[in-house]
Amino acid sequence: MRKMTLGITLSIILSPMSFASSSEINELKNEVLLLKQMMKELKKSNDELRAYQNTTAKDSFVPASRNAFSRLEASVEELKTNLEGNEKSGFQLAGYASFGWQDAQNNDNEFDLVQFSPIFHYQYGSMFQFEGELEVKVGADGDTEIDLEYAAGNIFLNDYVGLIVGKFMSPIGQFVQNGHPSWINKMPSTPLGFGHDGAAPTSNIGIELRGGLPKFANTRSNYAIFVSNAPVFGIATDGDTIIDASGKTSSNDVSKTWGGRFAVNPISGMEVGVSMASGDIAEELAGGKKIARDYEVVGFDGAYHYDNFMLKGEYIKQKVGENDLSMLEGGIWRAWYSQLSYQFQGLNLEPVIRYGDYNNPEIKRKQLALGLNYLFSNNVIAKLAYENNKDKDGNAVNSKANDNRLLAQFAFGF
Amino acid sequence: MKKIMRLTILLAMFLTFSVNYVFANEHKGDSVRGAELWASSCVHCHNIREPADLSKRAWKYSMNHMRVRAGFTGQETRDILAFILESKTSKDSE
Repeated sequence: MRKMTLGITLSIILSPMSFASSSEINELKNEVLLLKQMMKELKKSNDELRAYQNTTAKDSFVPASRNAFSRLEASVEELKTNLEGNEKSGFQLAGYASFGWQDAQNNDNEFDLVQFSPIFHYQYGSMFQFEGELEVKVGADGDTEIDLEYAAGNIFLNDYVGLIVGKFMSPIGQFVQNGHPSWINKMPSTPLGFGHDGAAPTSNIGIELRGGLPKFANTRSNYAIFVSNAPVFGIATDGDTIIDASGKTSSNDVSKTWGGRFAVNPISGMEVGVSMASGDIAEELAGGKKIARDYEVVGFDGAYHYDNFMLKGEYIKQKVGENDLSMLEGGIWRAWYSQLSYQFQGLNLEPVIRYGDYNNPEIKRKQLALGLNYLFSNNVIAKLAYENNKDKDGNAVNSKANDNRLLAQFAFGF
Repeated sequence: MKKIMRLTILLAMFLTFSVNYVFANEHKGDSVRGAELWASSCVHCHNIREPADLSKRAWKYSMNHMRVRAGFTGQETRDILAFILESKTSKDSE
């Protein structure tokens, strides 16, 4: 009985508790659902807030960044302008220099060459350029000798025509106009007949048109045509009869020289040119009277570069006509040379061989030269060469024409 | 001979001006064509000068000088210059 009473009592007591627990669970469930809903809303709010913050931050950051970037760009552009130059007119100093030594037969060895050749360039836009080259040398007696090699204004009329006025290098052939700078010439000496007062004209004073031509049959070509004051014929201080074909500012009362050169590049690495000139050459007679003699020039030149080989050759002939009033005989001044070189690029060594021949009415000379160059860089070169010289008439005993020579030279271009 | 030479040169001058007036045109440099010309033309006369050898400013003057010396057209000059300027780097002076 007591057990039964206890059971009933417990049932009565526990029954409401069980009921209450189920309701709480439901309440809890509702609360959880509510919380979930709140979490969702909170997350949504949070996302919206973040999105807003991001948008706000971007809107406030980008203009500042853009401004800074623009300023940076402007600074870089200004720096580039200062460094690279964008001025319409400007000036540049270029040129070359060389120092030489020789040991010739029948002579003591000597440091025989100190030469500095500054080249001045002034440019105005893409339409005009002035260029002038001085040749500054120390003579045997220590005096400084200065020559104006050329000084000319180049007006670029269009892509194919440059009008040149002033003193310009003779466009006859290649060596005189392009090969003479010591850092370009692969030998320490000039080929026979291609120096001053030789077979090749050196410079002209007058007007020249030159440039490249439009491609024809996929072949490049270039030209030069000129009219200039005439050269002078006479006897030099050493007694030789010479053609002084360097530019003069006087017409010497004779007709002008007309001439030019045309060259084509038939294949890559090759250029072949032909040159001609014609006019009068002036001669001053003993009494001061000036006379005119016929003057003609013909030249052929070629250059071919293949792999590390470089083959060059050139032929030039100047012909002076006769004049009965003169005691001097006219005749032909003719010179040619051929040169082959090869660059061992890993070793920076360049062996060179050159053969040349020079004839005029008084002399007949031949020369075989062997050289070896060391290239510190492409424009800084040490040269060593041996020349075997022959005067075929054997009348050059007192000159140095028969003397074989060992030559060394240090040359650089800048 | 003299008259023939003079007439030839006068005719050449006339043709040069008239033909070039028709063909003359200025375009920007093409560095690909410039690279080919740089490699094949400069060596006719001298060892190739690397783009690093001179400043950009100096190259502009030097290429005009070479336009006269080598007989380049204006376009060929701009092509070579474009190649050289594009080839220069900030380490050129090292």
